[in-house]
Amino acid sequence: MSIVQLETIRKVYDTKVAVEGLSLKIEPGTMFGLLGPNGSGKTTSIRMMIGMTVPDSGTVQLFDQAFDRRALHRVGYLPEERGLYKKMKVIDQLVFLGQLHGLDEATARKRSLSWCDRMEIADAIDKKTEELSKGMQQKIQFIAALLHEPDLIIMDEPFSGLDPVNAELLMNTLLDLRKQGKAILFSTHRMDQVEKLCDAIALISRGKLVLSGSMRDVKAQYPRNRVQMVFTGPDAFLQHPGIAEAKNYSGIAELRLADPAAAQAILAAAINAGVLVSRFEVMEPTLEEIFIERVRASFGDAEFGGKVSA
Amino acid sequence: MHNILLIARREYLERVRTKGFMIATVLIPVLMAGLVGGGGYFASRAKTSSHIAVVSSDSRFATDLQHTLQSGKDSNMQVDLETPSPETRARLDQELTDKKSSLAGYLWVTAAPAGAVAARPTFSYKARSAGDISTRGTLEKSVSSVLMRESLSTRGLAGSEIDSLTLPVDIDTSESGSTLAAFGAAYVMFFLMYMVIMLYGMNTARSIIEEKTSRVFEVLLATIKPDELLAGKILGVGAVGLTQVGIWMAAAALLSSTGVAASVVGAGHVLISATQIIFFLLYFVFGFLLYSSVAAALGAMTNSEQELQQLNMFLVIPLACCMLLLPQIIRAPDSTLSRVASLVPFCSPLLMNFRVSLTHVQSWEIGLSFVLMAVTIAAILWVSARIYRVGILMYGKKPNLPEIMRWLKYS
Repeated sequence: MSIVQLETIRKVYDTKVAVEGLSLKIEPGTMFGLLGPNGSGKTTSIRMMIGMTVPDSGTVQLFDQAFDRRALHRVGYLPEERGLYKKMKVIDQLVFLGQLHGLDEATARKRSLSWCDRMEIADAIDKKTEELSKGMQQKIQFIAALLHEPDLIIMDEPFSGLDPVNAELLMNTLLDLRKQGKAILFSTHRMDQVEKLCDAIALISRGKLVLSGSMRDVKAQYPRNRVQMVFTGPDAFLQHPGIAEAKNYSGIAELRLADPAAAQAILAAAINAGVLVSRFEVMEPTLEEIFIERVRASFGDAEFGGKVSA
Repeated sequence: MHNILLIARREYLERVRTKGFMIATVLIPVLMAGLVGGGGYFASRAKTSSHIAVVSSDSRFATDLQHTLQSGKDSNMQVDLETPSPETRARLDQELTDKKSSLAGYLWVTAAPAGAVAARPTFSYKARSAGDISTRGTLEKSVSSVLMRESLSTRGLAGSEIDSLTLPVDIDTSESGSTLAAFGAAYVMFFLMYMVIMLYGMNTARSIIEEKTSRVFEVLLATIKPDELLAGKILGVGAVGLTQVGIWMAAAALLSSTGVAASVVGAGHVLISATQIIFFLLYFVFGFLLYSSVAAALGAMTNSEQELQQLNMFLVIPLACCMLLLPQIIRAPDSTLSRVASLVPFCSPLLMNFRVSLTHVQSWEIGLSFVLMAVTIAAILWVSARIYRVGILMYGKKPNLPEIMRWLKYS
C-alpha cells in the first residue's frame, strides 16, 4: 500500500513546463524529503497531490485510490507561504480550520488546546494572530495542519524561520508522528535536516525527477572515495598510486581515491613510512554535494551560474 | 454545503463583531438623514444677504427696490442707493476690486427713453464674482416684482389690492400625506441603497484580497473547493449587509409606527410603509449579489487594495449612472426613459426601488426587474467563479485581458 502515488504527471502553465513526467511513491511510516532548487516545481507537485491544481496528464493516487476530494480530510497541509487571519483569535482560528477538515467544534477545541500545550504556546490562545511573532504563527499553522490527525502530512519548508529550539520541537513532533505510522512529506533546502530525518528522498530539477529512492540507496550510488586525514610526519605517502587527487593543508589532507578499496592500503603505507596518523576517515558524499552535482548536471554547467541556492 | 456555511459563518461573525460595523450601523442613517434633511433645510431657508449698490436716477423705484431687497420674502440684503454719474461708476468699480470692501456688486439702472409706450428701464449688474448666482436670481425676481407693483399702481390700484394680487398660492396636500416627507424618505432610501451596495460589494473584494495577501486560502483550498470558498464569502458578507439593513429598516418601521413620525408628517400618514421596507430588503439582496459577484472577480484579479482601487470604477460607474438618471426619474417616474432605465439590472436595485416608493409601478415591471437581475447574477457568477478559481492562485503581476480570457477556458 502506498500513501501517495504520482504516475508521470505533467503540468504546463501557458508556455512554461512546470512539471514533466514526474513519478513518485510514498509509503506509510516514512519521512519523505522533496528536494529541488527554487522554481523547480516542488510547490506545483505538492499542489497537484492535494487537488489544488489538476495535472494536464498523468494520475494522482491518494491512499491507493484515484484522487478524490474526500480523501483530503486525511491530509494535513502546511503551505510554504504562511497565512492566518490577522484579526482572528488563535483558538477561533484553530477551531475554524479544524471544522473545515471535518471535525466537530468540541473535538476541534479540545485538540487545539492540547496541541497548544504541547507546542508551548498555551498563553497565546486568546490573542489575535497579528500580535504574535512569526515563529509563533508558524507553530499555530503547524498545529492547524495536524488537528484532524491526518495520515499524510505535507509540509512545505516547515523549519524555515524557526529558531533552533523550536525547529527541534517541530522535528521531534514529526518523528513522533512517523512512529505512529503517518507518512510525512516535506520540502526543504536544508540538506543537513534531510540527511538527519528522511528515509527517502526525491530530487527534482527543472520539473523533472533527477534522483529518488531510499536514503541508503541514494548514498550507495555514490562511491565512498573521499578520505580526510590528520597526520604528523613526512607526506611522501601521498604519492601512493591509489590516490587520484590530494590536497595537503600542512597536516590536514583531503584525498580523492581512484578506487574506494585503496583506503586501507594507503593507511598502511602511511604507517609504514613512520607517519603519526591521529585521524583517518573514509567519508561518504554528503547529500548537499550530491544535490549540487545533480542539479548542476541537469542545468548543464554553462548556464548554471548561481541559479541554485542549496 | 457544510463548508460553505462554515466559511460564511466565520465571515459573518468576524465582521459583525467589529466596532466598524456598529459605528456604521448607527452613523450611516444619521448621516443620510442629515444630508438630505439638512440640504433641504438650507435650501429653503437660505436668504441672500449680500451687500450691493443700486444706481438709479429714479429715486422712487430705487427706494422700492431697496425695501424689497432688504426685507423681502427670501432676501435681506444690504442695499446702498447711488445716483448715476461717471464718478459713481468709477468709485464702485474701484470698491469691487478692493478686498476690504464688502460690496458684492452694483445694479446700474438706465431709464427708458422718455415717451416710449410701456418702456422698461434696462438693467446691468456688475458683480465681484461671476459665480454669485443666488444674488443675481434674487435681483431678477425683486426687480420684476417692483416693476409690476409700480406699473399696477400707475394704473390706479391701491397698495392693499396689489398685495392680495401678488400673494403666492399655497396648495394643501395633507389629504394624501405630506408629499415632501414621502419624497424625503424615498430619497434617503435611494442614497442608503447606494451606500450599502457599494460598501458591501467592496467588502467582498477586500475580504478576498485579505485572504490572498495573507495567503490564508492556501490552507483553505487544501480542503475545500474555490467555488465553495467564493459562495461562502458572498453569503457571509451578504448576511452582514442584510443584518445592517435589517436593523435600519426595523428602526424605521418602529419610528413610523410611534408618534415621533406622526408629529412630523401629520397624523394618519406613515413615513415609510411596510411595502417600502420589503422592497428595500429584496432589492438590496439582489443588488448586493450582482455587485459583489463583479467585486469577487475584481478581488481575484488583483493583489492589493491599491490595485483594487484602480479597478473599482467597474462598481462605481453603474451606480453613478443611476445617480445621473435620478433627476429624470423624479421629474417623470413613469416616462419610457424611467421605465427602461429601471429595468437595467445594474440600475434596478436603485432606480426601480426608488420608483416603487414614488409611484405605482406595474407588478410585471417589478417581476421583470427581478428576473433580469437573477439572470445577470447567474451569468456574472459563472464568469467570476472561473476568474476566482485561477486568479487566487496567481500572485505577482496583474493579468491583462487576454490572460483573463484564457482563465475562463480553464475548468
